[in-house]
Amino acid sequence: MNISSEQIIDKSSKWVVSFFVASAGLWLLAAAFLAYIAAAKLTDPFFLSSFEFFTYGKVKIAQANSFVYGWGGNSIFAISIWILARLSQCEVRGRFMLLVAGVLWNLGITFGLLGILDGHMNSHEMLEMPSEVWPLLFISYSIITCLIIVMHRSRKIHETIAPQWFILASILWFPALFIIAWNGLEINPVNGTVQSVLSMWFGQNLIWLWLTPFALGVAYYMIPAITGKAIDKYYLAIFGFWCIAALAPWSVVHHLEGGPVPMWIPAIGTVMSIAMIFPIAVASTNFHATAFQDIGKVWNNLPLRFIIFGTLSYTISSYIGVIFSLPAVAKLTQFSIINEFHFNQRVYGFFSMIVFGVVYHMLPKITGKEIGKSAKSFHFWTSAFGVLILLLSYLIGGLTHGVLAQQPSLDWASSVISSIKPYFLITEFAFIILGFSQLVFVINIWKVLVPNPFEDSSKNKNLASKASTT
Amino acid sequence: MNNIFKFALGIFSTLAFAWLAFVVGARVQFGDLKPTSSFHEDNGSIPLNADVFPQEFSGIAQQGAREYVSLGCTTCHTQQVRLVDSGFDVERGWGKRPSVARDYVMQNEVNIGNTRVGPDLANIGMREYSDEWLHQHLFEPQSLVQESICPPSPFLFDVKKTSGEGRISVKSNDVIRFISPSIRANRLVAYLQALKQDYELPEMAFVEDDETDEESEQLVVSIPDANSTQLPSWLAEQISSGKEIYSKVGPGGGGCITCHQPTGLGQPGVFPPLADSDWVLGNKERIIKISMYGLMGEIEVNGVKYNGAMVPPGMPMGSLSDQQIADVLTYIRNEWGNSASSISTDEVANVRSTIKDRGVMQMWTAAELNSVK
Ligand code: HEC
Ligand code: HEC
Repeated sequence: MNISSEQIIDKSSKWVVSFFVASAGLWLLAAAFLAYIAAAKLTDPFFLSSFEFFTYGKVKIAQANSFVYGWGGNSIFAISIWILARLSQCEVRGRFMLLVAGVLWNLGITFGLLGILDGHMNSHEMLEMPSEVWPLLFISYSIITCLIIVMHRSRKIHETIAPQWFILASILWFPALFIIAWNGLEINPVNGTVQSVLSMWFGQNLIWLWLTPFALGVAYYMIPAITGKAIDKYYLAIFGFWCIAALAPWSVVHHLEGGPVPMWIPAIGTVMSIAMIFPIAVASTNFHATAFQDIGKVWNNLPLRFIIFGTLSYTISSYIGVIFSLPAVAKLTQFSIINEFHFNQRVYGFFSMIVFGVVYHMLPKITGKEIGKSAKSFHFWTSAFGVLILLLSYLIGGLTHGVLAQQPSLDWASSVISSIKPYFLITEFAFIILGFSQLVFVINIWKVLVPNPFEDSSKNKNLASKASTT
Repeated sequence: MNNIFKFALGIFSTLAFAWLAFVVGARVQFGDLKPTSSFHEDNGSIPLNADVFPQEFSGIAQQGAREYVSLGCTTCHTQQVRLVDSGFDVERGWGKRPSVARDYVMQNEVNIGNTRVGPDLANIGMREYSDEWLHQHLFEPQSLVQESICPPSPFLFDVKKTSGEGRISVKSNDVIRFISPSIRANRLVAYLQALKQDYELPEMAFVEDDETDEESEQLVVSIPDANSTQLPSWLAEQISSGKEIYSKVGPGGGGCITCHQPTGLGQPGVFPPLADSDWVLGNKERIIKISMYGLMGEIEVNGVKYNGAMVPPGMPMGSLSDQQIADVLTYIRNEWGNSASSISTDEVANVRSTIKDRGVMQMWTAAELNSVK
């Protein structure tokens, strides 16, 4: 039996990647559960209302955090370790340290979320977990980052390519953002509304500079890997990359139109958001011109279908995002539930869909076990459907909300809120679908990650050897 | 791109640029704002005995702010009244004026928020809700506002069947319950009551609502107007019309507010005060002439020298009618503690007839005005 170098690399990453994927899955379920509770509370405020643990504000924030740090963080670790190991053609080293750091990261988030639910929430966007857990999170993150960088530096091929830029940048940006925000909010706190500017800058950048470039990098890797075709107009990728690097950190603070902050802040944000059209167009050309050369493949290959869903949703909703940053529109919608649209299109429609795709592609390779086809496809269709109605209802609901809120004569509760209640109902329904869908995902992956004691172990071995020879 | 250190340097510097601009820039501009008063001495200093705003929250309200954060009220409530151009927040009765950065400098937790599922709370303390109402709302918003989706927080209260000392009754679905607030509920309510931007600042005055909208009148506590009710109605009318002309920037208004400020104090060294000014309270003819043709060159107001230019007021320039001039001058002679006789349209018309040959943009000088006796 000849074992290719890729298989050695995959094998070296098996435990680490499995650990991170498995924990990511659990956080995803936790987030889905919390998302459902929060959505249900908007349709019936008395739902679970006597438990302080489950009051709307706490659940909502806990959901966002478990989604971004739990699901997002863990899957970023898992996938970047795997992709970067493959691209540098090196075995994953420091596996024990990676696992220890991974355990610390997950412990930190667990305590952080319990802290939020127990009433120790911080007021800064996406830094709501209690101050005590952040050093732990930061240290474990740094360990993982250092080991990834070390692996990257020992690569066999000197020349780097687009997936590496995007993924490395995203991994490096997070600690930089964190240090800036932590310094400005906790160590040398800034005064008054400058605090809000900083915390908003951090919270939005987390999505724009951490989750987004990572998912873009993954798409740059996976699309050629699955289709077997080189990225179309690859020379544009570097332009797209630096555009994001240069523009994204400016474009994120346009939700402050007319607020008690320096007026030039939302103004710059708006201009830069419009300029974001360029990198969005670049990524979209690169991905779609490559993938759609072979539409049959996109349709039939499930991981690729997930990824293209993600990149399409990125393109479409980013353009929508640009429109909503124009001052005339921002006035209407900046405080409406359209914010939920922006958040969910990023983390569900784009990031998560891409991660699902990679995980389905990657797990069989590293564990040697296949995932049931119908289960995967059930997951795809429910996710796609759930995400679509979720985003549509937030989009239409958000517009309604914004327009009605601008009519001073309408009573708030009985007119404005009552007319968006139907949309809350739809989102509740969407979250139920997504919850089921994600349950199936987690069962799918846990089935290949954790040996089933009831299953005939010899059958497994057979499958494993079959998979590794093909 | 191939050297990870150079690469890291590149991506960090793009980030640092944005950080420098936003955070450091905002900090330089707003970082050391201090509470202040809208009243200034002529030399620009704050009078010693003046109240400065914003004021610090009481201890219990500060603890309430913690509760507000920990219960995640920010997920649905903002605390910022936007500028008039950006939204109808003031019209909605969410505040008497837009919020400015200075309003937040005394708060440890700044919760300006970014989602308005619930109404803005920047001025909830000004809406004249009783503590009792706020407790009832906190316990079960739906008992007061049926369609509300504000989450009930019954866990902050002890529910009792009978009434008693310090208990508040809540009626919902025809059941009456009695609740006694915990210390946390008291803190939260103290915080909500402390949220009010009911003072003017040099950078932001109250927005005058020109329609006497009953509803917003109710929500917005009106400032006691010293000279409203006791005056004869023709004078009150003249004054209120004058106030409008004074404040209105645009066709039909005088726009005096942009230079002489809502406070009538002008700006030290640049725009002379109208409040307690020997010019305003003195000879009528001079100020009528100023209101027609403007003023330039050196002028001494209350012993302080100014040297600027006031273009003929109105839009287009110099277009104020006799009636408007009479009203606005009567207003400035009777506002900010000023008290002097009113000016009638006839008086203005008389002055105009004596100088009808003057060129349109020919501004007066103080010396010229003083020489005519
Ligand atoms: C699910 C979103 C939501 C959350 C979370 C929320 N609220 Fe509300 N809030 C509303 C809505 C909607 C209204 C308007 C209906 C009403 O008056 O009850 C409202 C109204 C209010 C009002 C009355 C405002 C007025 O001018 O009449 C107060 C006070 C209030 N909320 C306080 C709070 C506090 C304190 C918290 C945190 C414990 C909180 N809210 C959390 C949605 C929310
Ligand atoms: C563009 C800014 C500006 C506007 C608008 C303006 N003023 Fe003036 N005003 C000035 C300046 C500057 C002076 C002092 C001129 C000088 O130095 O000769 C002045 C002086 C005066 C004085 C005499 C000095 C004093 O303080 O008593 C009066 C009275 C006066 N203005 C009334 C008005 C009235 C009434 C209006 C509106 C109809 C108005 N101003 C609009 C800038 C302005």
